[in-house]
Amino acid sequence: MADTYDAIVVGSGISGGWAAKELTEHGLKTIVLEAGRPIDPAIDYREHVMPFEKRYRGMGNRHQQERYQPIQSQCGACDEYASKFFVNDLDNPYSTPEGKPFSWIRGRQVGGKSIMWGRCVFRWSDLDYEANAREGVGVDWPIRYKDMAPWWSYVEKFVGIQGRHEGLAQLPDGEFLKPWPLNAAEQKAREVLLTKFNGERLITNMRLAVLTEDHLGRQKCHLCGNCYRGCVTLSYFSSLNSTLPAARKTGNLTLRPFSVVHSVIYDPKTKKASGVRVVDGNTKEMFEVKAKVVFLCAAALESTRILLNSLSPEFPTGLGNSSGELGHNLMDHIMGGGATGELPWAKDRRELGRRPDAIYVPRFRNVKSKHPDFQRGYGFEGRAERAGWDRGASMPGFGASFKKSLIGDLGPWEMSFDGFGEMLPRHENYISIDPHLVDAWGIPALHINCKYSDNELKMQEDMVVTATEMLEAMGAKNIRTFKENNAPGLVIHETGTARMGRDPKTSVVNMHNQVWDAPNVFMTDGAC
Amino acid sequence: MQRREVVKFLGAALALPFIPRNAEAAIKLGADLHRRLADVPFRTLNPDQQKLVTMIAEMIIPRTDTPGATDVKVPEFIDLILTEWASDDERNAFLAGLNDMDVQAVAMGSPRFLELTEVKRGEFLTGLDAKRPQKIGAAHAFDRIKTLTVYGYFTSEPVQVDVLETQMFFNGYDGNVPFTPRV
Repeated sequence: MADTYDAIVVGSGISGGWAAKELTEHGLKTIVLEAGRPIDPAIDYREHVMPFEKRYRGMGNRHQQERYQPIQSQCGACDEYASKFFVNDLDNPYSTPEGKPFSWIRGRQVGGKSIMWGRCVFRWSDLDYEANAREGVGVDWPIRYKDMAPWWSYVEKFVGIQGRHEGLAQLPDGEFLKPWPLNAAEQKAREVLLTKFNGERLITNMRLAVLTEDHLGRQKCHLCGNCYRGCVTLSYFSSLNSTLPAARKTGNLTLRPFSVVHSVIYDPKTKKASGVRVVDGNTKEMFEVKAKVVFLCAAALESTRILLNSLSPEFPTGLGNSSGELGHNLMDHIMGGGATGELPWAKDRRELGRRPDAIYVPRFRNVKSKHPDFQRGYGFEGRAERAGWDRGASMPGFGASFKKSLIGDLGPWEMSFDGFGEMLPRHENYISIDPHLVDAWGIPALHINCKYSDNELKMQEDMVVTATEMLEAMGAKNIRTFKENNAPGLVIHETGTARMGRDPKTSVVNMHNQVWDAPNVFMTDGAC
Repeated sequence: MQRREVVKFLGAALALPFIPRNAEAAIKLGADLHRRLADVPFRTLNPDQQKLVTMIAEMIIPRTDTPGATDVKVPEFIDLILTEWASDDERNAFLAGLNDMDVQAVAMGSPRFLELTEVKRGEFLTGLDAKRPQKIGAAHAFDRIKTLTVYGYFTSEPVQVDVLETQMFFNGYDGNVPFTPRV
């Protein structure tokens, strides 16, 4: 293997896959360095494995998970079928302050977390891009919707995203494939909300990177419902299913698994990066790879960790840290607020096919009027569904009629709304290098200091209120609210720590994702 | 029985950890192995507890025109979960709850749950079903058995394949299919 390339891409997940595709298609000899192992869809994908094929029928190898994946297994997808797509927590340590947990969920393999991701894809609008400037929070984005819209279109056309055109200013429409229809219960719920909330609270089809028709050589979804375990028909978007094969087709791609990037090498003569230091995942020997440009796509916290570990006389606190903002302004979303209730209609209707995701209620708080308790807003993910045999454990009774009901009948339509709220950027939510902790490859590990503030917690309270209002408007029975006390991180939407801005004194990257301190280093993942 | 015959009796497929020095030792080893093999599905529940769990699982999901809980080895699944999956505290609470069933059976006029009449067993379980939220004693054990029986039954191969006819491939999604319960 030659050790000099035109471009290095660190990470092979969603953003690394895109970087690899674009760079190779533009003729650059590109190496993708992936920390984890290779994945062969024919062998590793598990979406059609039946519960009786697993020792604990899908309940998970609990004692093993408690020992090796106590953090990863907080994520529901880290189960008996798919836990191999999540890291070993003992090999990948990090620290948090007493009483401030952070659930850092990671996938280290070719494909990264794009194998297990939630597949919901939304455009931002100027309500989002202008929010910091309008509210005096953080720094202003140097970009606006009009700058991004052509790129959204470019990406969406390749990815294949199903969705319904709604014409909302706060959630712009995209290049949609036709969506799956709402089911009978959701359709009625949509109509009721349109009447009772005058269109302000709207049930629309989830905007989802799952194909409803054959698209660019990938097959339409067969509705097995187990996307997080892989997909042999390549029907959902992942780097493994889509961008990496496109990059491979150019002949310009080198993909090296078991390559744990330690840091970026800075050349003071050129004032640019000359390459990266890599620890071989198996032999643990360190080597260097050189290139003209470096793309950091290792997921927000890992990309920033690499920069924080990139120490030189010129940048003694980490490359990219001249502003002092590297590592700061860590965000996630807040989830775990909402409600569920039984809908009074469509009792003579059922579904055929297991949709992985169903409906979305776009943000309605702080859109047209100001909410007194919090800034920004949230959307609801949700669905209406009827339980089958799995309602048996909570259903009263036993015996022949109990059994017959579980086989031949269904529960009522249960409508659920689960809020996902925006988190504000705050300097005091940060990551830094823990001076006493290294990972299994000897690389200094992170200390993560992050907490939800009142703004997020008030938003979560409001999710419970508005979800309940919508269910009441539908005449739902047996409404159960929930408000979970999750650690940040668990939404797995971690972003920030290398913010984009107009001014090198207050930001880490410019509007083209170039690190101010070394303009041939690009951060193109959630870090910026 | 001669040593050679003993080894033959145990079967060539069995890899013996060592060849016993004499016939008596070999016969004892054979007996131990036989017992171990016979016991393989049950490592936590003793024979009495097996009978109790089996009876309750079969009362929850009896054999009808489709298999019952025992047919698809739900009791063995419960024992597997108790042995390899449950925490020590959970296992102890479960076994204490089983014991409590017999204690409570005394109040209904029998030394053991298994010896109650069929009608009284039904009444007993109906009572426990209502008390499941209390999460203690016999009601707790019933709650666990019921949960694991439903789960173990419906995730078993015969039920997934032949009763539920679980599909993995659909030619598109339809959310508006007419439905009439079959009960």
